[in-house]
Amino acid sequence: MALPTPTLAAIRYGYGLRPGEEPPRDVEALLGQIEEGASEKPRFPREGIAGRLDTATRVVSLLAAEAKARKAGNPNEDVRKATQGEARRIYRQDAMARLAQAIHSPLGFYERLASFWVDHFSTSVMKSLPMRMIVPLYEAQAIRPNLGGSFTGLLSAAILHPAMLIYLDQDQSVGPDSVAARKSGRGLNENLGRELLELHTLGAGSGYTQEDVRAAALILTGLSVDNRAMQVVYQPRFAEAGPVNLLGRIYRDDEGDGQDHVLMLEDLAANPKTAQHICGKLVRHFIADDAPEEVVVAMVTAWTKSRGNLTEVYRAMLEHPRAWSEPGQKIKQPFEFVVSGFRALDLPERNFANLLRDMDDGDDDESPVQKAMDLTGMAAREDSKKKAGRANALTLGALQRMGQPIWQPPSPAGFADEASVWLAPSQLSERISWSRMVARIFGQKMEPSVFLQAALADAAHPETSRIIAQAPNKVHGITMVLASAEFNRR
Amino acid sequence: MSFDNGLRLSRRGFLAGACCVAAAPILTPVSFAAMPGDNRFVTIILRGAMDGLDFVQPYGDPAYAALRPKLGLRPDTGLIDLDGFFGLNPAASALMPLWQAGELSFVHAVSTPYRDQRSHFDGQDMLETGGNGKGERTGWLNRTLAVIPRSNARKAIDINTSMELILSGPNEADSWSSQSNFALAQDEIAFLDRLYAGDPAFAKAMEEAKKTDMSADSLYGDAKRGAGIADMAKLAGGMLREDYRIASFSINGWDTHVGQQEQFKKAVGDLSTAIVALKDSLGEDAWRKTAVLTMTEFGRTARENGTNGTDHGTGGLAVLAGGAIPGGKVLGKWPGLSEDKLLDRRDLMPTGDVREVAAAMLYRQFGIEPDNLTAKVFPGLSFDTSSVYLKG
Repeated sequence: MALPTPTLAAIRYGYGLRPGEEPPRDVEALLGQIEEGASEKPRFPREGIAGRLDTATRVVSLLAAEAKARKAGNPNEDVRKATQGEARRIYRQDAMARLAQAIHSPLGFYERLASFWVDHFSTSVMKSLPMRMIVPLYEAQAIRPNLGGSFTGLLSAAILHPAMLIYLDQDQSVGPDSVAARKSGRGLNENLGRELLELHTLGAGSGYTQEDVRAAALILTGLSVDNRAMQVVYQPRFAEAGPVNLLGRIYRDDEGDGQDHVLMLEDLAANPKTAQHICGKLVRHFIADDAPEEVVVAMVTAWTKSRGNLTEVYRAMLEHPRAWSEPGQKIKQPFEFVVSGFRALDLPERNFANLLRDMDDGDDDESPVQKAMDLTGMAAREDSKKKAGRANALTLGALQRMGQPIWQPPSPAGFADEASVWLAPSQLSERISWSRMVARIFGQKMEPSVFLQAALADAAHPETSRIIAQAPNKVHGITMVLASAEFNRR
Repeated sequence: MSFDNGLRLSRRGFLAGACCVAAAPILTPVSFAAMPGDNRFVTIILRGAMDGLDFVQPYGDPAYAALRPKLGLRPDTGLIDLDGFFGLNPAASALMPLWQAGELSFVHAVSTPYRDQRSHFDGQDMLETGGNGKGERTGWLNRTLAVIPRSNARKAIDINTSMELILSGPNEADSWSSQSNFALAQDEIAFLDRLYAGDPAFAKAMEEAKKTDMSADSLYGDAKRGAGIADMAKLAGGMLREDYRIASFSINGWDTHVGQQEQFKKAVGDLSTAIVALKDSLGEDAWRKTAVLTMTEFGRTARENGTNGTDHGTGGLAVLAGGAIPGGKVLGKWPGLSEDKLLDRRDLMPTGDVREVAAAMLYRQFGIEPDNLTAKVFPGLSFDTSSVYLKG
């Protein structure tokens, strides 16, 4: 089945159709989103970048003070609990803001790319309590502004961010012969060095060896995080002196200024295996698990020609005819499914924002709202609990159940991307359940056939239209639109 | 039987060619003033077009057996005889104690004014708006609130995650759902199967999900669905026992195109569960003051189809329950099932307007002026105190 460009552009390269939003006309319209998106301030972190740095450093010093007091035999449970509660609330607000960003942004392709790269350079809020605050900052600072420029720039921004260094234990790693190692007995941690080669650049099985992994880890020594300022710092005491041989090039850090890792990142970014790895991954993500080789070849050519300019790489993909044929080979990931569902339902921004308010109101804490509610009695409290549960089940809880909680990849490799993973029987059940829930809450008075048109336009199969029109009740009609194969494929 | 002056449908009445005007009172003629604001009214919407001919089977009609060779039952094959002409589907046996206690009635061959198109969506809109056309966007139960004379009887609730059309409108009403997001109805599962039939990967996932899925219990399980339905009805009963006086909820699962025996049994079981749970949670005193109107968007074809099911029809069945109704009767003007008596030679001919049944119940329960009922609640309906549903 061939689809007109705008419909396929919205479904395959964006977060689906939204009533009142004109789908991208052509390749230029898609590419045009990148600059606009990269210059925009995302909805998270909620306090903005500077504000979040303040929050994060304040929380870290609070935790440090409490840890110190605990060691001295004066633990302060209240401080610890309050801090945990705050971190949880901040994460929830940011995660909801990430959902809202994807739902309400008209720059669907840019938003999809942001998700792709956040997943490619995975970090997780589950690593530690401060990471609840830092990972959203990481996406806003390192990923989103850089995903249309050179790959070198994006790679450096991602690797040299506190979130990445903390996530992959670089802040724990010291050179075996460094000053710090001699003093503290700590040693090398290869985690970041390994993932840098295997996941971020060259790709698994591309021919590097364990020696190369160790070399990369050695070159990275010295990089650490100043927790009080939440900044990446170079600590000469942690650094291993050169020379180190990585993939045939000797890195010496002759100047002793700790810049050898910058050279390494540039070299890895320029390595042809990296281009091959990244282009293949983009095609597998956007087009088909079985990546059409000719598209990958065109992209690698553009990569080489433009010295890794990502917008040119995306252009080569989008300008290939194969980018516009055989729709529906991929299954939307849970985040895409939920976002595109809310978009199709055209939920007003205010209503979506209310869901977060419901969740905040349901907190088991001493918020003013909760106190006021306690005064009005248990019924109000139960009501607020129930609303909070419902809001969560519609959004973050749904993503958790479907296996894709926000900023919580199962491993540094990110979330699975293969269609078969997202079409497991239990996955389908979860999607039907969610569809039914949103249909009952938001779709009670919608006409299923009108909704089908809004959600899928000409991508709906005629037989699907017929079945939807015959549904035994409207809620089930709306449910079936969202649960349909067409709505779950892209 | 003294007030059953030829109004009750019976084989004798039918065969004698009596005019069969159903005029038994559908509510106990209690003095309204005696119960200030204490009466309750519940609507249950059966979505998907409930097959009234299967629920209350006219086994005494000479044409019935031929129309329903597979679905039709007789007392000697399990049908529970009600009055010598009609019999109750055995799947509803849990309702028999109510029938015997005079707390259950049926009105056969009723419909809304909706004709010819047989679309679930439009049919349900008509049922819930109570109007004559498509333009109306408020529910009749909501409009009712404005014309109930006693303000303390105006508190209404929809047992759902969001307000259904029947209670939507300018007048204040609440919605509240039970915790359970209960399992899919059988017809809904059948529709999903159809939806995925053209996509082998989805069809396979759905097949396995129904069989082996970890969440199969909550989404596809009968037991879980029954518990969810009971919770919903209990919640309605609890609300009505407190300060709510009007409640509404829906039960899906009635679109039985294929394999009706199995599907219908489950749907009838769900409704029976709901009514019994409602009664139990209301308690004796409140149940005595309660009238329940169960209705559907339209009936189904008189003939069974080629896939052991029935298709969309016209004349249907309303189920009345509660301590406030004089039960134990099958009401309605029976049109007969011979080919020439069927609408378009396919559907049970509607001989009564289900809105008039509702109007009569509202008049009795809340003392609403007939003029208000015909002007505001059911515009276009003819209804006054001489309604057949109020006689007796």
